[in-house]
Amino acid sequence: MEIVVCIKPVPEAETRLRVAPGGQTLDAEGVKFVLAGYDESALEQALLLKESVPGSKVHVVSYGPPPRTEEVLRAAIALGADLATWVEAPAGTAGDPIVAARALAGAISSVPHDLVLCGKQAGDDEAGLVPPALGELLSIPDFGSVAELRWDPSLARFKFLRSTDAGGERWEAPTPCVIGLQQAWNDPRTAKLPNILKSRKAPIAKRPADPSNPGPRSVPTTFELPPPRTGARMIEYKTPEEAAQKLVRILREEAKVFP
Amino acid sequence: MPDFSLSAEQESLRDMARKFARTEMAPHAAECDRTARFPEEIYRKAYDLGLMNLNVPAEYGGSGLGVFDQCLIVEELAHACGGMTTSVIANCLALEPILLGGSPEQKERFLKPFCADYHFASFCLTEPSGGSDAGGLTTRARREGDHYILDGEKCFITNAPHASLYTVFATIDPSLRSKGITAFVVPRNAAGLSPGKDEEKMGHRASSTSTVRFDGVRVPVEDRLGEEGGGFSIAMRTLDQTRTPIGALATGIAQAALDHAAAYSLKRQSFGKPISQHQAIQIKLANMAQAVHAARLLTWHAAWTIDRGGKGTLESSIAKCFASDAALHVADEAIQTFGGYGYMKEYPVEKLLRDAKLTQIYEGANEIQRTVIARELLRPYA
Repeated sequence: MEIVVCIKPVPEAETRLRVAPGGQTLDAEGVKFVLAGYDESALEQALLLKESVPGSKVHVVSYGPPPRTEEVLRAAIALGADLATWVEAPAGTAGDPIVAARALAGAISSVPHDLVLCGKQAGDDEAGLVPPALGELLSIPDFGSVAELRWDPSLARFKFLRSTDAGGERWEAPTPCVIGLQQAWNDPRTAKLPNILKSRKAPIAKRPADPSNPGPRSVPTTFELPPPRTGARMIEYKTPEEAAQKLVRILREEAKVFP
Repeated sequence: MPDFSLSAEQESLRDMARKFARTEMAPHAAECDRTARFPEEIYRKAYDLGLMNLNVPAEYGGSGLGVFDQCLIVEELAHACGGMTTSVIANCLALEPILLGGSPEQKERFLKPFCADYHFASFCLTEPSGGSDAGGLTTRARREGDHYILDGEKCFITNAPHASLYTVFATIDPSLRSKGITAFVVPRNAAGLSPGKDEEKMGHRASSTSTVRFDGVRVPVEDRLGEEGGGFSIAMRTLDQTRTPIGALATGIAQAALDHAAAYSLKRQSFGKPISQHQAIQIKLANMAQAVHAARLLTWHAAWTIDRGGKGTLESSIAKCFASDAALHVADEAIQTFGGYGYMKEYPVEKLLRDAKLTQIYEGANEIQRTVIARELLRPYA
């Protein structure tokens, strides 16, 4: 099975983000970009499928600027991806999900793909637009918020669960299709040290951005950081029972969490 | 221009070690310390990820890292737990004599099967009568035909109860002092080899330490490393390679102590404000930060010297000695920052002091390091 996984470099979770002068972009200076969250789960899913279906290959594809994009591709190779393609982003365009989807679709359409896996949304902007856009651009079915994905060899179909607010839906899907995965239900593995060393020397196919890919149709006007949190309130108490009683009173009478 | 930046590869190695340390080791550090449990499940994962035989070349199944890269990893691991780190890196110490003194055939025969699976090895130099005076060791190796017969006792041997392979230093004639010392590789199943019971230790309690007795242990001549009488040089050159990562281990403990103290100082209130706003605490934190930074840079410099082919005896002794003294001091100041809470086992900093203490003692006590530093520094003046 040929599995393509789309990954995006996102700021490490502990990063303190700053808005760049002008207010329309985030300041990337000193920010560490990593393979994280939904994409990490998507890659783990691809590696599990590869291990269960003999002869499978995992091909990671990322669209973005240097050096962060190369770094997440190498991280994916260290985790077990067989091939990597980097679609180079012209400066300033990497943030738009539809532009990214067009760039990724261009790369994916030129390589074998029985399954295109993505995180259901990116760990930073959480737009969630790339998986459905890829489905449209590649003219194949797409599914989001997927968990418990497995391959049924007797039916030659994927089986999975789609979680919704109302409950769960069980689905089957043919090849090829695009699947956007839920986060952190499959305990992503850690790269082994020798594989990290090997990944540094692994080839990465570079693909220039398609000049015919139109730029974003929308751009954010300004970025704002969340307001600083107001101070926590300490409860004075002598016994745990007293602490609990005071907390319940505050939750009921002041925060009105319950009647 | 000297370059203090890490390569992308080094950052990847450090990130991986950090992730392992924080997700696999740190959550169990307090429990293993309390119960003196040897967490095999964590060590097995460390082996699976390639963290256990860092210095063994890839051709023999190790990770093949230089000393600098080892230091990056060791500091991250020690940030989570000094004791676990000691057990994870003990193979580097025990296998280094084979790397330095073994023939190609011996490396192939000992290292390949060892590294191919989850195994521990132990470095057996120190004896009950002394560790610093290594030239005066008394474990005997008597030649009988194509075998040596080993008799004696080693003590404070890391991982000894769990080891499958021991590198052992014994003398063919005590009157020859260091010139009689000879190195051997001995498997666990050799008749007459018996590890003692786990020692009850002040710190590094997730690690295992015991005596190893040799009662008429027969070792084939082909398991001798180097020549008869060449063992002392192998032992000293081994320690030249492994001393610097102990500086990194101490730096990791010190960094953990600083991290805990800094975070605590921001949330602990006294006199109506966080204690981080009191100069007394600011000065403490500033001094701790200086010690940690200097310990790291000395360690990096020693590692860099060795990786460039230098002997690094002076640099590694300075790094190990300074970093371990710094670790004890910084852990002490972290406890002081926590006040009474710092003295309580419920908080993480008292463990750091107990773990830091050992770094001043093992792999060459700091008194010996200072002797070495003095000897090396006086050389140009003589």
